[in-house]
Amino acid sequence: MAHNSPKRILLVDDNLMFLKLMEKAFKKFGFDCSVAASAEEAIELLNSEENPDIILSDYEMLEMNGIEFRKYLVANPLFKDIPFVFLTFFADQDLVKEGLDLRAIDFVTKDTPVNVIVSKINNILFTISQQRELTELEIKKAAALLNFKSIPVNVPDINGFCVDFWHSAYHDIPGGDFIDFIKVNDRYNFVVLGDIMGKKWTAWFFTFGFLSYIRAAVRFAVFNGDYSTSSILDKVNSVVCFDDVLKDILSTLSLVLIDSETGAITYSGAGDLPLLHYKSIEKEMEIVTSSGLLLGLFENGNFNRQEICLEKGDSLFIFSDGMIDFSDLAGKKSDYNMFTGMIRKNLNCGQTFTQIKDNFANNGLNEQVDDRSIISITKN
Amino acid sequence: MNMIKIYKEDQNNLMVDLKLKEANVTNADEFKVELMKLFDKAHKRIILNLNQVEYVDSSFLGALVSSLKHVISYNCELVLVGLCKDITDLFALIRLDKVFKIYNTFNDVPAY
Repeated sequence: MAHNSPKRILLVDDNLMFLKLMEKAFKKFGFDCSVAASAEEAIELLNSEENPDIILSDYEMLEMNGIEFRKYLVANPLFKDIPFVFLTFFADQDLVKEGLDLRAIDFVTKDTPVNVIVSKINNILFTISQQRELTELEIKKAAALLNFKSIPVNVPDINGFCVDFWHSAYHDIPGGDFIDFIKVNDRYNFVVLGDIMGKKWTAWFFTFGFLSYIRAAVRFAVFNGDYSTSSILDKVNSVVCFDDVLKDILSTLSLVLIDSETGAITYSGAGDLPLLHYKSIEKEMEIVTSSGLLLGLFENGNFNRQEICLEKGDSLFIFSDGMIDFSDLAGKKSDYNMFTGMIRKNLNCGQTFTQIKDNFANNGLNEQVDDRSIISITKN
Repeated sequence: MNMIKIYKEDQNNLMVDLKLKEANVTNADEFKVELMKLFDKAHKRIILNLNQVEYVDSSFLGALVSSLKHVISYNCELVLVGLCKDITDLFALIRLDKVFKIYNTFNDVPAY
């Protein structure tokens, strides 16, 4: 949600006059108000609408009182984190303690002037949003100290090929996309692009686990003389399926092996978007589809391996699903064909990958709704 | 909010509608909690109607697939119906059409 959108408040009170008065006051100060004349009505509203930013509830109500209402919310995982403030005439010490024990943020007495109540709620919401921003800043600092990079800083130098990439994190926060270039020796290089299904920090934390498994699987396979991309995906998938921490986490993966000696490229994919092979002579785009399922889905991931023959000047594009998400006034949509058409058109107009990257960075192609990553491999 | 509404249920099937236009990171976790709450092991099959959904992001796909894994672990099924063309295409691109049983409407789902 945009930072400037009006804050939504749910007012709960069985005194209809007071409810009207508060609704009018909050609306005047730019709040988006929902009102409920009982706790039961409030629960119905919560079940049918998006969660409000804050709930302001009376204590003394017929049927379910304010404390019982608060207990109901605390017991429900969908509602327990909505900030809650009691607004009541009746506020003895025991009641205040019981309410605060239920993690109500504050008690405000009804004889407080209305504009002061509105200011108080504004302050509470401002403090909450400031705390969230500070927490995010702390996480960013901790992540920087860990020195773990899910996106490399430099492009690899691979004999006979020009490899480049572009990545943009959603809302500038590291997310679930990860890229890696694993150099085995002067002959073999692996190119990795994955996307943990999720966004922002939650997804980013799991990139550690997946990248560690992928790097280990590549190293062990190479150590045993096994350069098969499908066999490496099999190994990663087996470990992920047995990892209790990762059991509910799914990831796509495109794994490409470049053999600089023969110029051969082999590819296996796991639930990834089909790669694009741009044929420079024909000026056409060929779609390269794999059969593999998402990592961590089933023990048998059905991974196949295929060779891709790049001629001089041909390019191979590997990308995450954020690249094909488009947003306009009509809403969001995923359109693989539109993305394919745009890339082909730009290449046919003589644009280099560097120029195409500039288009992405300037939002020339689509408005960002997710992490976006793309790797380009061009044969010299 | 309740984003899942029960359409019909019988001894084996729980047929539900997903009341979302955009299924994304903001409602993915909540969706999973709601679906799992509704999932009664006595039902052999959940049939989820997505005909109101116009866009699905990868977080929501993750919640959908992880719900499937959960349901399968009880030897039950999660069947999808009502996918729009964009979402059908996306499922085919990333092979999720090989993972889920997908039909056009509730009526097209074969009897259990």
